[in-house]
Amino acid sequence: MRLADTLLRQGHLSEQALVDALLSERRPRHLDRCDLCSERAVDLARWLDDLRAMGTDIADEAFAPEQLKLQHDQILRRLEQLDQRPRVIAFPGLTRPDLSMPAGRRVAPAWLGVAAAAGLVLGIIGGQLTARMGLAEPTATGTTATATDVDGLPPPAPGGPAVDPLLIDLDAPPSSLSEMDDMTPRLTMASNSAGG
Amino acid sequence: MSETTPPPAGRELDARVAVDIKALQAAGRTDEARDRYSELVGRHQRRALRIAYHYMRDAADADEAVQDAFVKAYTHLGTFREELPFEVWFTRILINGCLDRLKARRRRERWIAPPALDPSGNERDPAEYLPSRGPSPEDQLLSQERRQRLNAALAKLPERQRMVFVLSHFEGRSSREVSTMTGLNESTVRVHLFRAIRRLRAMLAPNVAAAAPRRGRVNRAAR
Repeated sequence: MRLADTLLRQGHLSEQALVDALLSERRPRHLDRCDLCSERAVDLARWLDDLRAMGTDIADEAFAPEQLKLQHDQILRRLEQLDQRPRVIAFPGLTRPDLSMPAGRRVAPAWLGVAAAAGLVLGIIGGQLTARMGLAEPTATGTTATATDVDGLPPPAPGGPAVDPLLIDLDAPPSSLSEMDDMTPRLTMASNSAGG
Repeated sequence: MSETTPPPAGRELDARVAVDIKALQAAGRTDEARDRYSELVGRHQRRALRIAYHYMRDAADADEAVQDAFVKAYTHLGTFREELPFEVWFTRILINGCLDRLKARRRRERWIAPPALDPSGNERDPAEYLPSRGPSPEDQLLSQERRQRLNAALAKLPERQRMVFVLSHFEGRSSREVSTMTGLNESTVRVHLFRAIRRLRAMLAPNVAAAAPRRGRVNRAAR
């Protein structure tokens, strides 16, 4: 019997003392001679039992037997994966390493520099030649252009596409229109006559 | 109270099996070790799920926590001491795992929308979505209502009180065992347990709490 129970509750057990008594299964003597406390203890025990049954049901309903079986299998599968030794698969390029070369720094061979210099010289020469040939080409094209007949349509290339008449140079009118061209006053002449 | 507690013979058997598995693992006979461990999983799975479910309040989280705990126990079986019951050692692993998951969940919940609430303002439990197997619709409804109330009341308990209550009362563990499982003092375990019961009584059975003897009533009763 606790002092607090004796002083404050005139010998009756507190709620905590009842809980302690029920959970530790040590029955205080007071319960044998006090009907009120005995009734409270029975009430509490019944309530706790009810609570436990309900709590167990709630948890068990959340997990059906099939789910338990599934979980059991999943656990064993995970353990199997853990027990399997990890295999290291070699990268194909590294299967036969070149042992003639040291593993550390790589040194470029001497001929590599000579080859690079030769490539540079060839490149420069090639560039120069290409530039010269490129300059010569437009002159040849101009010659052919002056060779076209300005009076009429240029003869179509055999087998080539027909030349569009609109693309012909209109500064030199065709011969059929030259008379009309002569009759048309020029701008300079018109301005001279206007000026007197 | 000790309905769910395995009998001492069962505890000794568990310890013996655990020691056997340790030896098999050390000898590299992993297939046999797994077969023996499967026995332990089968014996403790349901109990572990109950603890995890009441602690996590979510079926999927509880499932993962239990799986992780069994895998972790298997990989750390080398540290298992024979003088400690296997279930106590395993439950400690499970509780630590649940705690880690709860912390992670709290961090996650800071970034997501609040959970769906039922009309009474309580968080809806995934377990409630499962069809119950009540015998009649009325019984089903009553039982559902009582369970909802209990679920809601358990959810309102502080974490430690809930854990101590579940281990002590639902699982029938002694204060000493709960102390070993949770790392709390025995006296702290008893205080948490008492507070949990008092709170649950106040929430679930207000008339019972009102019937507790007060000075005036005791005086009248004593007369």
